[in-house]
Amino acid sequence: MDLRSIIAPRLVAHAHCDIPCGIYDPSAATIAAQTVAKMVEKITGSTGTDEASRNLFIRSVAVKEEHAQICKKELLILWSDYFKPEHLEKYPKLHDTFWKAAKLCSKNKQSVDAQAAADLQAAVKEIADIFWATKK
Amino acid sequence: MRPATALFAVAVAGQSMEPTLRDGDWLLVRRLRRPPRPGEVVVAADPREPERLLVKRVRSVAPEGVTIQGDHADPAESTDSRQFGPIPRSAVVGRPLFRYAPLDRIGLVR
Repeated sequence: MDLRSIIAPRLVAHAHCDIPCGIYDPSAATIAAQTVAKMVEKITGSTGTDEASRNLFIRSVAVKEEHAQICKKELLILWSDYFKPEHLEKYPKLHDTFWKAAKLCSKNKQSVDAQAAADLQAAVKEIADIFWATKK
Repeated sequence: MRPATALFAVAVAGQSMEPTLRDGDWLLVRRLRRPPRPGEVVVAADPREPERLLVKRVRSVAPEGVTIQGDHADPAESTDSRQFGPIPRSAVVGRPLFRYAPLDRIGLVR
């Protein structure tokens, strides 16, 4: 569990006009992509055949799978719910960037590939950078 | 919505309290036992939907209830007592004391 999820409020206090505005944040996708990369490292580095090593190996695979899926879900939420047509005008490659990032999530589920994991981190960072630029 | 602890955290959603509070601010809130005072920022149950919390500023406190209003200069940006009227005192849950995130906006809530 990361620090952010420990200190994050469990409640929302609304300061609205009546239309609810969601809170969006690319951090969840960033952390998930980092986790995938970390798991690829653990899987690749795992050579032991004893029970403890096999357990760690299998867990690492499971966590990689899970976090690649979390990453995809978080990206899709940003894509469909946060970004608006005005953003697309300013960032014409936005759809392509998201599409490729989502595909990289799948690739990281299918394979144990440090390059794919690094590519996913880079793709999520690109999206996070665009996200924060729209917040300025 | 009645948080069980004397201190609790909320995430601000929406723009109606700008510039005091921004969408995404994380606040530490102290449960309020005394009556609210005019000028204070409070967290209150939405009179139209009690499970939902609002964060607004107290304009006035009268026997008929507490008038709350968003800080935003444009009234269209806030739904508050100007639409739903005064809220009962019992609807006021707490008072935000401190903003602990984002890091560059850490500080007291006034």
